[in-house]
Formats: sequence, structure tokens, C-alpha cells
Amino acid sequence: MSLLFYSFFGLIGILLILFAWSVRVPGRPFRPSPENGEDESGCRHMTYLPQIRQAFAEADFDFLSKNTSREVLRRVRRERRSVALAYLAALRADFQSLLRMARAIAMLSPELAAIQEFERIRLTAKFAWQYQMIRWKLLAGSAPMPQLHGLSDLVSGLSVRIEAALKELGERAAAAAELASSANRRGLDAG
Amino acid sequence: MLVCTRMNEIPASVRILWGVTAFLGGGLLVLLLYRKSYRVFSTFFVYVLFDFLQCFVLYTSYRFWGFRSSVSSQIAWGTQGVVMTARAAAVAQICQRVLAEYRGVWALAKRLLILTAVVVLLYSWAIARGGWQFAVLNGHRGIELAIASVIVILLLFTRYYGIVVEPAVRVLTIGFFLYSSFYVLNDTILERWLLDYSRLWNLLGSSVMLASMLLWIWGLRERQPERAFEPEMLSDGIYHATAPEINARLRALNEHLGHFWNVERKRS
Repeated sequence: MSLLFYSFFGLIGILLILFAWSVRVPGRPFRPSPENGEDESGCRHMTYLPQIRQAFAEADFDFLSKNTSREVLRRVRRERRSVALAYLAALRADFQSLLRMARAIAMLSPELAAIQEFERIRLTAKFAWQYQMIRWKLLAGSAPMPQLHGLSDLVSGLSVRIEAALKELGERAAAAAELASSANRRGLDAG
Repeated sequence: MLVCTRMNEIPASVRILWGVTAFLGGGLLVLLLYRKSYRVFSTFFVYVLFDFLQCFVLYTSYRFWGFRSSVSSQIAWGTQGVVMTARAAAVAQICQRVLAEYRGVWALAKRLLILTAVVVLLYSWAIARGGWQFAVLNGHRGIELAIASVIVILLLFTRYYGIVVEPAVRVLTIGFFLYSSFYVLNDTILERWLLDYSRLWNLLGSSVMLASMLLWIWGLRERQPERAFEPEMLSDGIYHATAPEINARLRALNEHLGHFWNVERKRS
């Protein structure tokens, strides 16, 4: 009886948290701009790829550990960590820009596939979990230092045609959101 | 004189709250008519009207049969069933108002909202206290829990897809959620302590109704546009062509992130 009794309180507690989070007025709608346009296609990340790879090269680190002081080694480790954090942030930015586009397309599509939508939610949750766990570990100093062989594939594997199409659709979605906001404002003004 | 004695069974604080709530309900009806918002929120108007009429039906029954008589109890729960149905219809119309213009999202959301309501009702019924004397109370709690869940799912949808919710609709949903979630807790406590809690149950229930009424009056103080804007839809093929492609890209990013994770796991 007690468990069942408290289950209602637990349910309402969860609903209250979700309600408070979802009822907040969202920020400004996404607008593609010339500044972040480069990020959308991944070009900015690709520009720094050789430097990022160099920073993670195991051979360099081995050489330093044999030929330099501990102080220099510590500094190198610190810098490698900040590179890893920047790399993580870049992955996250890529992920979020893709998500924004996917949502904009879905919002304006006459028919959605439930499987694709739920798959995206699952991927988002998984990414958010992994991202936070790795970030905390990096910040705490127990840093995993990965090999970045796959990074070039990831960045250069972007199809220019798809990116261009998605960017255009993103702009249309942003325009639609803007139209919605102005329609609401007009409605209120008329009242 | 007998009538006055019977009304005294109800605490003065509850009587005052009922009076104020009925007055505000009347005010909200006038506001909906004056601003012509009843055209936009027709089922909400019907709900407020039924709620307003219920006040008079209950007042009359308590005067004639007393607060604790079985006749009054039957009338109270019977009319509550009608009001509850109207409230569920009002929430359904709000969902439609917010999402219907986005045909794809609405088709998906509608299925999910119906499924949520059914599952929550079944869950609520399955774990409720047995016995027919609790059937009405369990039904009330189940429907209120379903309404609260549907509102949360609706708002999650709007947040996820970045759909703009009109300020008036936002306030209406807050009022409905406040009322429904509170009543789930109120009914759960009443089920356990029944008579000991019934006075407080009435007082708290009236207070939350009062708060919801005030919210709705504030939210609907201005005239509402007849229709939300109609977005220009993309052609059907775009979604089916791009959605799997984007998901594949997201999966690739996830795998890449997992690379960090695996390095860490191998080390430990």
C-alpha cells in the first residue's frame, strides 16, 4: 500500500520537473549566419586537423617524457587535455547543428517516421551522457587520450550536397519560426 | 432554517472559497464572451460553463439534502464526471491548437498522446485501492493524472521541435497542469484517510481551482487570434531522404565519442 501510495507522489514529482523544464520560453530560434556557416560544413574543424593530430601523437609524448623535465611534461599533459576538451566541444557543436537541422526538417514535413524520430532521441541521450562523463573525467585529470584516426573520415566524409540542402532547409525553418513569432505578436497586438 | 443548518456542515472557509471561485468562473465566462475567445477555445468555454453550473447544482443539493447525504454525494460525483469529460476535451483542443498546423508532428504526437493517456489510466486503475466505493475516486484521479501527463508530453513535443506556443495557450496549460497534478495528490491522500481528510480535501481543492481560475483570467485578458499561422510544408520526400542520413551522421558522431569512452575503459 505504501509503495503504491508513494508512487503517485513520485509520478507527480517527475511530471512537475518535466513540466517546469518544458514550459520555459525557449531561446531565440536558430539562424544560420556567415560566422557559423563554416561550422555547419565542418570546414573549420578540418582546418585544424593536422595540429590536433600532432597534439595527440604518442611518439611526441614518449620523446618528451625521456628528454624533458617533469614540469614541461605536466604542461604538455595540460595542453593535451585542453585540446581534448576543444575536440569534444567541436564534436558536440557538430552534433547540435545536425540536430537543429533534423528538427527543422521534421517540423515542416507532412509525415514523420516514428522510428527515425525515436532513434534520434536515443542517440541524443546517449551522446549527452557520454559527452558529460568524458568531460568530467578530462576536467578531473583522469584523461583518456584517444587516437584520432577516425576524425579525418568524420570531417571529410561530410557530403557537400547534403550540407547545402540542410542549410537551406534550416534557413526555411528559421524563417517559419520567425513568421510564427510575428504572427503571435500580431495576434496579441490586435487584441 | 433546516436548510441553513445543513449548509453549516460545510466549513465557512470552504463556503467562501466556493463563492469566490463561482464568481471568478462567471467572470471568466463573461471575458470569453466579451473577447470572443469562445470561438478559439470552444471546448474550454464549455468546460468553464459546466464548472460554473456545477457550483449551483451542488449548492442546491447541499441545501436540500445536506453535505454528507448519499444523494448529494451522487450528484457531486455525477456532475464531476461531466466536468471532467469537458476538461479532457478542452485539453485535447489545446493540443490540436498547438500542433495541428504541423501535420507530421501532429500525426506522431496524437498517437503518442492517446497512448500516454490510455497507459496512465490503466496504471492508475491497476494500482488503485480495491472496492467499488473507491471506483469514482480512482476514476477521477486516473483522468487527472492522464491530463497532467498529456500536457507534459505536449510541451515536451513543442520544446523538442521548437514549436512556438501562444502565450494564452501556455497559461491555459499551466492552469490545467496545476489543477490536475494537485488533484492526483489530493485524491491519493483522501483515499487513504478518507473522512479525516475530507474537509481539508475540499479546502485545498477549492484553493487550487481558484488559483487556476485567476491564471486563466489573466491569460485570456486579451483577444485571441482565430487561427495560429499556417507554416509552409516541405515536400514529403525531403524528410524521408534526409532523416536516415542525418541519423547515420549522428550515430557516427556518437561512435566517435564512444572512442574516447573505450580508451578510458581499456585503461581501467
